Amino acid sequence: MEIISTVVVLVVKSLIFILGMFLAAAYLTLIERKFAGHVQQRPGPLHVGFHGLLQPIADALKVLTKEDLVPNNVDKVLFYLASLMAFVPAIMILAVIPFGDPIKIFGFEIKPYITDINVGLILALAFGSISIYGVIFAGWASNSKYPMIGGLRKAAVLIGYEVALGFAMVGPIMMAGSFSLREIVQAQEGFFGAFIWYQPLAFIVILFAILAETGRTPFDVQEAEAELVSGYNTEYSGMKFGLFPLAEWYIGTFVLSAIAVILFFGGWKGPHIFGAFSPFIWFFLKVFMMFMFFLWVHWTLPRYRVDQITEIAWKVMLPLSLLNIFITAIIIMVKG
Amino acid sequence: MLWINPQKAEGLKSAFPSLKISHQKNSLSVEIDKDKVLELLKYLKENPEYSFKMFIDFTLVDYPLHNPRFQAVYILYSPDYNERIIVKTWTDETLPSITTLWKGAKWAEREAYDMFGVRFEGHENLVRMFLWETYPYFPLRKDFPKEGIKDTYLPSLNERDNIPSHDYDPYHTAIPTLEDLEITERKRINKKNQIVLNWGPLHPGTHGTIWFLFDLEGETIKDCDIILGQLHRGIEKLAEDLTYTQIIPYTDRMDYISALCSNIAYVNAVEKLLGVEPTEKAKWIRTMMAELQRINSHLLWLGTTALDLGALTMFLYTFREREKLMDIIEGIAGIRLNSSFLRIGGVRYDLPEGSLDVIKHFIKDFPSRIKDYEDMLTKNRIWIRRNKDVGVVTKEDVYQYGLTGIMARSAGVPYDIRYIQPTDAYPEVDFEIPLGTVGDAYDRYLLRMEEMKQSLNIIAQCVKKLEELKNDKHLATENPYVLPTLQETYFSIEAMVKDFNLRIYGEKAPKGEIYLSGENPRGELGFYIVSEGEGRPYRLRIRSGAFYNLQIFPELIKGRTVADAVTLLGSIDPVVGETDR
Repeated sequence: MEIISTVVVLVVKSLIFILGMFLAAAYLTLIERKFAGHVQQRPGPLHVGFHGLLQPIADALKVLTKEDLVPNNVDKVLFYLASLMAFVPAIMILAVIPFGDPIKIFGFEIKPYITDINVGLILALAFGSISIYGVIFAGWASNSKYPMIGGLRKAAVLIGYEVALGFAMVGPIMMAGSFSLREIVQAQEGFFGAFIWYQPLAFIVILFAILAETGRTPFDVQEAEAELVSGYNTEYSGMKFGLFPLAEWYIGTFVLSAIAVILFFGGWKGPHIFGAFSPFIWFFLKVFMMFMFFLWVHWTLPRYRVDQITEIAWKVMLPLSLLNIFITAIIIMVKG
Repeated sequence: MLWINPQKAEGLKSAFPSLKISHQKNSLSVEIDKDKVLELLKYLKENPEYSFKMFIDFTLVDYPLHNPRFQAVYILYSPDYNERIIVKTWTDETLPSITTLWKGAKWAEREAYDMFGVRFEGHENLVRMFLWETYPYFPLRKDFPKEGIKDTYLPSLNERDNIPSHDYDPYHTAIPTLEDLEITERKRINKKNQIVLNWGPLHPGTHGTIWFLFDLEGETIKDCDIILGQLHRGIEKLAEDLTYTQIIPYTDRMDYISALCSNIAYVNAVEKLLGVEPTEKAKWIRTMMAELQRINSHLLWLGTTALDLGALTMFLYTFREREKLMDIIEGIAGIRLNSSFLRIGGVRYDLPEGSLDVIKHFIKDFPSRIKDYEDMLTKNRIWIRRNKDVGVVTKEDVYQYGLTGIMARSAGVPYDIRYIQPTDAYPEVDFEIPLGTVGDAYDRYLLRMEEMKQSLNIIAQCVKKLEELKNDKHLATENPYVLPTLQETYFSIEAMVKDFNLRIYGEKAPKGEIYLSGENPRGELGFYIVSEGEGRPYRLRIRSGAFYNLQIFPELIKGRTVADAVTLLGSIDPVVGETDR
């Protein structure tokens, strides 16, 4: 009986998470477009619904009803798999992200996370790495030169930043003494307990890594439209195409922002000024701020060349993250 | 006029006794036998007394009744003495290639081969420049009809069940097939360990329809070929059948980003040829419009280059200002892009009321906008890293390839037509010419930014002067070569007759030739016009700055990556309408 109830609860929870993420991603596109519009001194979407509020739905309908073109000479299996490979792992990271402490409503204890395993962070990292295969598969399966170059570029960038990202996360882990994201949050007490004050180097490295992983400017070499037409997704159309930006730009950025908030900004912690939902509101507020920061960078800067990115990854970010581990270790040893 | 001193030209006779010197009103040319021409050019280039180091242009003129048939024309420039010279020779079939002296002659000779069928001995890659390999004719020969030779049977247009709306001719001029177009690519594909990347003709990074072929190893470009001609309209051929005024709209369509500058360069050449002096007011209006157009063009360049390098927002910021300029140009010239605003002897319309106030407001507003752009890019680390040391041009390259405009000035060569051969009101305005030190893409960015400020300065001076000249005439209609205004045509029979004559028979220019150029935002736009005393030019050669500037691209891109190709192409800034003509 207990197994059945657990399964039911998990399925319902997962559905809520996935559907919620879908809806959130759809409206994140609207936020991005509005933001980009105002950065560029134009109004952005304006006509579908009030100030473009229905625009994401119109877009989704358009993308879903578009003709699904598959070029003749593609590797069909990988071609279909690629967009799923990009999309599914990105959403799977949600499984380990806690949105708050367990709360009690009507006598039921509700845990606002799917699972709290003790290797949560490593799992998140692993899923993040798998989603890169989507890009590389897309580049390979398209049997076309521009996507292939795009995919290879992404692979080159991936090797550089994954190492730095992994090492940068060691700092907060050492301070919290756990891989569990929930315990990392609980280790950050009060305003000055947030790890951002102790791990600024790690934070910088992780910002860099998130920008690179989600393919946002200045690291969007894999889809540099002036050089590679559209990069790895040149041959895709319809919803198969739609999944790529959805996974990379929105779900990826959102989920990784959430991890950054958990690691450095104390997750859902904050003054209890919004009542029972205070943790959620704080959490989403912080994630939203992080997300907007990435948008701000995206719509301002030019992009690096791919060899310059790998150069930064290996020559700047990796030593910085190692230095951070070293400093953290010394401080922990001295303070005991 | 910058022609070489006749006495100095006489001095050449001591080394070349068979030299013939022809000193005309608008040109000074020396003529020599075909077998001596390479020697003479080498002498002119290397003798420090002459030092005609810089290659300006090469073209052919067809005289079907003359024997030998083709006249070759080399135009050279001496940066040390600020002089130009025309060297001529005659040939029937072949000419010695001068690519050993000037690499910049590569494409010019290919074009001459393409258009006239004259072969060049010693040219490394003599293939068609604009037309496809298997095309059998040579269009710029005088015996080639303007509408083309209809030798290909294409009945499909009329083969319908219902009656077609037009009764099309079943015979048409030959069109290239896919196989014709891919000859060059197939030649390259056999190499090992390389992929050939077709960059263009339709690609967001190529600024028009240029077709690049990159031989890639990894992402490094080992070799590069450029195939031009997707936008080739044969303006030089069409011009031979049009009166001088009718050609003005065609000059718009060459460099469509800076149409007014092209207009001005062309009209100045024609006016010199005809001996027409435009009114004072027209001169100032022209200078002002040219500079407005220059800012407009540089803004488009800034926006698109930043867009190519990923800075999406810059594009809209520059287009905001460009839109204001477009409105100003539309208000004055009547049309936004291809305005054909110039007329021989002046400009089409007088300045409308209030236009100077709008421009004054723009002058006040624009410096803060430039500052915005510079804040975003000049000190931006990414911008610097993407642009520094990309496409370094040396002084030697400038002379070798005939680079002009920003490309020449970024290498530190003070080659600006507004300065060395000022036309219109340029002798009277005060401005500075920024020069680069390194010659890379970042230098060219800085120069363009500075040039915008200088242009603004010139516009301010023009506005001040134009306010004094408020009641002057904008068109020198008293001159017999100048079309009367609409008002005059309606109210005087003489003007009507003159209008009729000029429109039907054209401006009968005296026999002679002229080479005159203007400083386009993309380099020197020169017009070499040969007149046989008719109302139409016998031969109109357009020396396009972008065409020569683009020629150095394969040289500079070797060993760099595809990402650098974008930067480099952006900093060369070609407009295909002008390269292909």
